[in-house]
Amino acid sequence: MASPSTSSEAFSLLGLAPSYEIDLSALEKAFFERSKELHPDRYASAPAAERVVALTKARALNDAYQTLKKPVPRAEYLLSRAGVTIGANERLDPEFLMEILELREALAVARQAGKLAEVERMQGEMAARRTAVLAKLPALFTANDLAAIKTQLIVLRYLDRYLEECDAALGED
Amino acid sequence: MLLQIAEPGQSKVVEACKPRVVGIDLGTTNSLVAHVADASPVVISGEGGPLVPSVVNYGPDGVVVVGRLAVARALEAPRDTLASVKRLIGRGMADLAAIRGLLPYELEGDDRAVHITVAGGKKVSPVEVSAEVLRELKRRAESSLDGPIEGAVITVPAYFDDAQRQATRDAGRLAGLEVMRLLAEPTAAALAYGLDRGTAGTYAVYDLGGGTFDISVLKLVDGVFEVKATGGDSALGGDDIDRVIAGAVIPALDKAPRKVIGAAVAEARRVKELLTTASETMFSIPPSVSETYAVKKVVTRGDLQTWAQPLLERTAKACRRVLKDAELTKDQLDGVILVGGSTRSPIVRDFVRDLFGKPPLADLDPEQVVALGAAVQADVLAGGRKDVTLLDVVPLSLGIELMGGVVEKLIHRNTTIPTGATQTFTTYADNQTGFDIHVLQGERETADACRSLARFTLRGVPPMIAGMGRVEITFLIDADGLLKVMAKELTTGVEASIQVKPSYGLSDEEVEKMLVDSFEYAEEDLERRNLAVERVEAERILAATRQAFATDTELLDADVRAAGEAAMTKLAEAARGADYLAIRHAIEGLDLATKPFAQKRMNRAIAAQFEGVALDDAARKVGA
Repeated sequence: MASPSTSSEAFSLLGLAPSYEIDLSALEKAFFERSKELHPDRYASAPAAERVVALTKARALNDAYQTLKKPVPRAEYLLSRAGVTIGANERLDPEFLMEILELREALAVARQAGKLAEVERMQGEMAARRTAVLAKLPALFTANDLAAIKTQLIVLRYLDRYLEECDAALGED
Repeated sequence: MLLQIAEPGQSKVVEACKPRVVGIDLGTTNSLVAHVADASPVVISGEGGPLVPSVVNYGPDGVVVVGRLAVARALEAPRDTLASVKRLIGRGMADLAAIRGLLPYELEGDDRAVHITVAGGKKVSPVEVSAEVLRELKRRAESSLDGPIEGAVITVPAYFDDAQRQATRDAGRLAGLEVMRLLAEPTAAALAYGLDRGTAGTYAVYDLGGGTFDISVLKLVDGVFEVKATGGDSALGGDDIDRVIAGAVIPALDKAPRKVIGAAVAEARRVKELLTTASETMFSIPPSVSETYAVKKVVTRGDLQTWAQPLLERTAKACRRVLKDAELTKDQLDGVILVGGSTRSPIVRDFVRDLFGKPPLADLDPEQVVALGAAVQADVLAGGRKDVTLLDVVPLSLGIELMGGVVEKLIHRNTTIPTGATQTFTTYADNQTGFDIHVLQGERETADACRSLARFTLRGVPPMIAGMGRVEITFLIDADGLLKVMAKELTTGVEASIQVKPSYGLSDEEVEKMLVDSFEYAEEDLERRNLAVERVEAERILAATRQAFATDTELLDADVRAAGEAAMTKLAEAARGADYLAIRHAIEGLDLATKPFAQKRMNRAIAAQFEGVALDDAARKVGA
């Protein structure tokens, strides 16, 4: 994940107004145009000082693009700009935690038993659920409900962790 | 454009000012070199065509022979003739357990690196062997471009890890090349396609070489080449198909003598290549090679398909993962580009077509396209071309080891480079005064399952209770993919940093020493090498001439025979001496003396090909 220090001006680096809902093709176009100017390869035979500057700028540009192109990092970044950070030990609805715990146990059982079709089904269900949570974000950003956004982003971390476990289970030979 | 019309000769001046840079495809089976001439890349051809077999023979006299000449010695000296070393470079014994048994030569070494003992008890590392191949390409380019090569872009499989990349870089250095960049092979191929065909859109590049498999997804838009995701298997290629064929025809092949293994694998390759066009062919090991293992068996394309299927399935798995990483479905791809000699096989092509649901593109030569793309990137880096921007990625995740041996990833695979990441960690023990930082590469969750890149310690931290000390770790990757790691304790500001240079068994000092040695002995080496090359050539020509004199006696006039015999005696004499120029002259003399005879044979051969059409003419010419 890109660090906030290098991507603090992520939107302005890519010439966009800060917003959760962005035009992805405009983002890509801006990234490509700026890359043409800043890429270190363009400065391979330039004086050392210029090379260092180009490298630093290209790094910041890449990190900004990485942060903005996907919805979850973009939302987390917008939240951090608003002064809200997500810590390591955030409190969540105990019912949700119980449910996730049970789902993960069921996944572990299916994985242990080598029931890959079962794992795939669980993965599909969770992916759909993730999509549904993501779909809530635009309205929450419009309402500027930072607390609710934070809760949904924490929920997404749990869902993503579960999906990673599904991948690991399916990737095993 | 009027302004670009130059005076005659003026463009030559401009050419001369441009640095001489090349692109090199250092392949498992074959290697080649290309450069940019008049704004488009061309492959530099030499004796035997553009491909140089990546094979090195070490003679008992200390002479090193590369390419076709080395291949010719493989059967008689299998232990001294090293092929496919790309599979060994940057690898340790443990990494190579699976293929060791089926190599015609013997590996020794430890978990970091291997070496091979060749003629005269000389120990060579895969880095040195690769350097010989690179030297040959460099010589070829220098003689074609008429001057020293100032820089080179060398391609590597996208999925090579840092140890393999560092080893390749050192091989370039040993060969006396300034390595401007290591470029991923599928990316190089996409560059060549994008420029040559004006290809635009989102493409998958399926690259199955002799010993490695890569799959990359790229977006090509208006001069920008963005790698979206890359993956593969750096130990899977056409070599494995050869071994599977050989193993299927000859059970318990791994228990056979090295010589038999070498012959069987070579025969399997021949059979595989024939099955590109034929539907069946004969696999045979004659009793002259081995009484015990002699075999004659018909192999069909169907057999090959069955045997290769499990290997191809492994490529499919990597393809699915890369599409997932790129967040694309196969229907969103505009096309699939085939790269690598192994994709010539119709079995592989059919498999790729079925996997992606579209016919793959192979209109640029899959064996040349990587070198062509590398030449373009070399031109870009030398400041020649300005309309191409390559956005490459890190192929494997990078992280550090935490307490308990788990890995915390700081930079995830497929992140565009250059990039950086910073994360803060806390102390885990009371009064801890140092932090051990262990840098790792790979996708697995535990440190022991990832590749260790570097270790360093941040010292001088004042004693504090556990959890109070906070260390900020920063990873920085430049456009070459080189990693720098910095650590800073936040309460005191103590800092430490390391430029990560993965070790693969050879230390910097060892490489440096080899480099110095190679300079010291360069002249002597060149002399000995030239002599060896000319001697081999002399033997070949003498044998061929004797053979022709014996079979086509009727085409041989008495005076030509006399002149030929005299020239042969002279050549045989020169070949016993140590003057390679004398041998070369004697070869030329023999050529000259036998020219009328060669002409007649040629005419007859041509006549035979156009049977009925030019036979009368040919008959007149030979005086029948």
